[in-house]
Amino acid sequence: MSIWNYVVTAHKPTNVTHSCVGNFTSPQDLNLIIAKCTRIEIHLLSPQGLQPMLDVPIYGRIATLELFRPHGEAQDYLFIATERYKFCVLQWDPETSELVTRAMGDVSDRIGRPTDNGQIGIIDPDCRLIGLHLYDGLFKVIPFDNKGQLKEAFNIRLEELQVLDIKFLYGCSKPTIVVLYQDNKDARHAKTYEVALKDKDFVEGPWTQNNLDNGADLLIPVPPPLCGVLIIGEETIVYSSASNFRAIPIRPSITKAYGRVDPDGSRYLLGDHTGLLSLLVITHEKEKVTGLKVEPLGETSIASTISYLDNAFVYIGSSYGDSQLIKLNLHPDAKGSYVEVLERYVNLGPIVDFCVVDLERQGQGQVVTCSGAYKDGSLRVVRNGIGINEQASVELQGIKGMWSLRSSTDDPFDTFLVVSFISETRILAMNLEDELEETEIEGFSSQVQTLFCHDAVHNQLVQVTSSSVRLVSSTTRELRNEWHAPSGYSVNVATANATQVLLATGGGHLVYLKIGDGILQEVKHAQLEYEISCLDINPIGENPNQSHLAAVGMWTDISVRIFSLPDLNLITKEQLGGEIIPRSVLLCAFEGISYLLCALGDGHLLNFMLNMSTGELTDRKKVSLGTQPITLRTFSSKNTTHVFAASDRPTVIYSSNKKLLYSNVNLKEVSHMCPFNSAAFPDSLAIAKEGELTIGTIDDIQKLHIRSIPLGEHARRICHQEQSRTFAICSLKYNPTSAEDSEMHFVRLLDDQTFEFISTYPLDTYEYGCFVISCSFADDNNVYYCVGTAYVLPEENEPTKGRILVFTVEDGKLQLIAEKETKGAVYCLNAFNGKLLAAINQKIQLYKWVLRDDGTHELQSECGHHGHILALYVQTRGDFIVVGDLMKSISLLIYKHEEGAIEERARDYNANWMSAVEILDDDVYLGAENSFNLFTVRKNSEGATDEERGRLEVVGEYHLGEFINRFRHGSLVMRLPDSDVGQIPTVIFGTINGVIGVIASLPHEQYVFLEKLQSNLRKVIKGVGGLSHEQWRSFNNEKKTVEARNFLDGDLIESYLDLNRSKMDEISKAMDVSVEELCKRVEELTRLH
Amino acid sequence: MPMDHPSSSSSAGASPFLANLPSRGLFSSTVISSNPGGMRIYISDHDTSPPEGQHIKTNQQNILIRSLTLKKQRGDSSSKDGSDCSRKRPAEKVLDSRASAKKANNQINSRQDGSNSQASNRDFHSLTVERLRALLKAKGLSTKGKKEELIARLKEVVQRT
Repeated sequence: MSIWNYVVTAHKPTNVTHSCVGNFTSPQDLNLIIAKCTRIEIHLLSPQGLQPMLDVPIYGRIATLELFRPHGEAQDYLFIATERYKFCVLQWDPETSELVTRAMGDVSDRIGRPTDNGQIGIIDPDCRLIGLHLYDGLFKVIPFDNKGQLKEAFNIRLEELQVLDIKFLYGCSKPTIVVLYQDNKDARHAKTYEVALKDKDFVEGPWTQNNLDNGADLLIPVPPPLCGVLIIGEETIVYSSASNFRAIPIRPSITKAYGRVDPDGSRYLLGDHTGLLSLLVITHEKEKVTGLKVEPLGETSIASTISYLDNAFVYIGSSYGDSQLIKLNLHPDAKGSYVEVLERYVNLGPIVDFCVVDLERQGQGQVVTCSGAYKDGSLRVVRNGIGINEQASVELQGIKGMWSLRSSTDDPFDTFLVVSFISETRILAMNLEDELEETEIEGFSSQVQTLFCHDAVHNQLVQVTSSSVRLVSSTTRELRNEWHAPSGYSVNVATANATQVLLATGGGHLVYLKIGDGILQEVKHAQLEYEISCLDINPIGENPNQSHLAAVGMWTDISVRIFSLPDLNLITKEQLGGEIIPRSVLLCAFEGISYLLCALGDGHLLNFMLNMSTGELTDRKKVSLGTQPITLRTFSSKNTTHVFAASDRPTVIYSSNKKLLYSNVNLKEVSHMCPFNSAAFPDSLAIAKEGELTIGTIDDIQKLHIRSIPLGEHARRICHQEQSRTFAICSLKYNPTSAEDSEMHFVRLLDDQTFEFISTYPLDTYEYGCFVISCSFADDNNVYYCVGTAYVLPEENEPTKGRILVFTVEDGKLQLIAEKETKGAVYCLNAFNGKLLAAINQKIQLYKWVLRDDGTHELQSECGHHGHILALYVQTRGDFIVVGDLMKSISLLIYKHEEGAIEERARDYNANWMSAVEILDDDVYLGAENSFNLFTVRKNSEGATDEERGRLEVVGEYHLGEFINRFRHGSLVMRLPDSDVGQIPTVIFGTINGVIGVIASLPHEQYVFLEKLQSNLRKVIKGVGGLSHEQWRSFNNEKKTVEARNFLDGDLIESYLDLNRSKMDEISKAMDVSVEELCKRVEELTRLH
Repeated sequence: MPMDHPSSSSSAGASPFLANLPSRGLFSSTVISSNPGGMRIYISDHDTSPPEGQHIKTNQQNILIRSLTLKKQRGDSSSKDGSDCSRKRPAEKVLDSRASAKKANNQINSRQDGSNSQASNRDFHSLTVERLRALLKAKGLSTKGKKEELIARLKEVVQRT
């Protein structure tokens, strides 16, 4: 790999951190707004449910999200503050459908200790000020003026240093906050302050409440007429106001999120750490609170945010499991739950570990993640591309074409499958037993190759062969009419729809026939100057049986032409350029837009927008799908039309948001495809590939497919073993029902097809599974699973004892073969020169696999290397060892065979707190650290002095905004060795927010080109809320902030394809590269993920 | 803390409380469907800088200086000095006493203004004999005797000055 890297998101963040409901997109619209760390989603609430509207990238990690209504406004504004101390106020402009920045700013202070308990951003209910708590001991105020404009912000000293929560109180004549805090004796209290905007200071508020529940962590302000605040603790819930105080004990639980149900604030939904949803009711007589009540409702995902939508529907946003749309039923179900889960929104976060495997052995990587936490833990199988679920297959060699036919015009299902070979045509049909068997249509000529078949009106079928066009009754199956090619000419290519046939014979003759009831009528004939290579008359106009345009691809001048029907007048001629002839043309319509697709013989595909009335071709784009000729066919799935491009790299072309998207199909090589919607196999496709005919259904048309395997426990490490076809995981199971917080740790073996637990090895009490690898040793042919563990004793700060366990898989069971005690936690294991390299606390230790006299093996310590704070992440390559330290960045060690010793070669002297490392190539190493940055360091072998050689030079820096837990070499997509992208090496990463990303190392020339594109895109694509892309991507931690270098933001670059034409042109001009070329180069990059 | 009785989970459970959930006619269809895939990705190609004057910055003035200037302005306009002073005093007092205690630990602090003498009289008892002797020595007095005598001697001097 190289130091020029391209970072792109393959799976966007799915961890829902905030949500709110309000009238954002118009005074009448009710919107649900969801924050997923670096993105917000805007949904519209409708009678039919949640309607997705917009997915908005934000250049920052969202710390707080609030909707508010400034004075005199009819709709809500959105306030967003980011973790890097930027904020913005957004307003929706319904006319332009744009997010307008009303205000933005920087709220950082030069000095100040960032809060430990997270940033707080709140807005006064009477909209007098925005309050922010970002640094200990400071409360920042951004006041509003009378016109709703923001004024200069100022800080107020807040005496309480350990703040847990701050909220504004309702119904106060002066803006009043209530502060929940912990004193230096760990007791918790609540205190109120009035904000005196004029004096820029606090004034003691109306009440204080001392010595609250020790677990009090959450404040819920109660709106008028009741006012006051609810203080949610772990054992009590308290209602407090200036004149009233109520408290009730509750079942011990940690409340993670709340959602207000009624506008008057008499009911709230509370979600706790075990995923239990409860209803908190304030009973009151008029405006006086008389009591509180808590009723459990049922189980959901562990909530991080709860938003009551409408009509008993509730959105549960989760960080640890799938987010959900639930309904609260008036009566409990059989299990006593009032909660009905209607929809689950997939969340991969937190991805703690993952591995890249090729389970189907198709040469395409799949990612298996350890996702979720606590009870919502799961494995997720993430696969790129569209899968075909095989239903039936037969061996058939040399298929030249396939078409499906119905037995009558109004039959909803297909009956016949016509399969054409070089010198014969066979017809398959579904028999009464729903089996495919060979049959005959008497009127068809079966001794020759069929060029085209189609259903026609009046219960007829059309067959085109090289000599004639045959019209056959689909009921009697007898020939009704035949059109013969003129003597001396044979038909080369043909196409048809229900009422029309268009064919081309040698010599450039184009013949147009019309289908009547039992009659084929030659309507028009045209002589073109060159031979015709392909044709299409797919009806995409108003009449579904008839087309008024014909697309024709030509030899010799390499052009595609549009003719009018029935008079065969040339309307448009488009030169394709190059020397590759068009092999397949297709007229098609997606989302109401008409396109002409034209596939070339070298695997390229051109697409044009087609003006149906004028026949004009515009917006030419070119993409490379494969390297072999492509055959295009339409098919429908879930009532939407898509296009299947059969080639060496089969692709489905579909449209989303009026943009054409290309998704690979998980099949190696497909020569022909035709839809075959039979009663037994509804919505199926017939696919001809490598001597086989397969009938199968197709996955949902989308790019990434995610399969969930719920575990009910938290998987922390995963590893795949090819030989035994198993996965091993280290997992832990919480047992919330028992009195103590007991957790059980396991090593579990899973079948890699069924994902069932097939064997379990329970670890000791207090023993954590820290790492698992599959490896083999020198002089031993067996493959083992090695597990590193740590004894985490409550009284110890750092584990001082651990184990390395060596297992084999025998008859699907884990067998413990050897075990070695260690003097600390085994954080990492690596197979290394036929030995086992372990990272144990501050030490790197090498073990060899020794055969004892009794024939058993044991791990024997060979050598080690001290000098780390905690060696957490280790990667090896040859004799080199790269160590990611807890806080001392990356260091490079080398193993010296002769001396049997490990020595330090070089290190990075920055104080980075690492979260993952990977080796990109011999000299360049990649690291991720806990301020959400990525960086690369390079070994400096040519340094003049020892000092220089001993220093790893930082060569790349980038702010990703995501916490990476793991890097792995590999790819999500199938790699074709002869395509450009196939040569680009990639690393996949997984993050806490559920992001799966790809880092690709680019050749320098391409990097420079894309860097230029990126800087041009920055000028055109503006950050939402005025946030700057350059600032967002600048490397930033407590120590320093420097501009990003040697990393490119692929998400920004790929959004070039989403720009409208005029903006594309603008960039193309600035770059001095044609739009077509830019699109092609960017499109290629999208194929990396 | 006065506590209400725990909510006795009645046989009816949560049902009575789940009645009349707010509804505005949304989510009313019998078939609730949503397709999370069909979301448009927002590309902002218009100018997103805020309107004039709405690029918000933080007042960089030190909080203490700001409050002093604010008070001064207030004092100029209305003669409310007295109340201001008294409001500010507790914080200063804390600061002063902290500072003096710290100094006393390190070296002899002979500067004792009248206003503080009351406090320092009491403070003498908290000082060690050695410190007291050092204080006396600094004032040119005898350093002999028990702690009580030393304190009495010191008090005498302080009251005299």
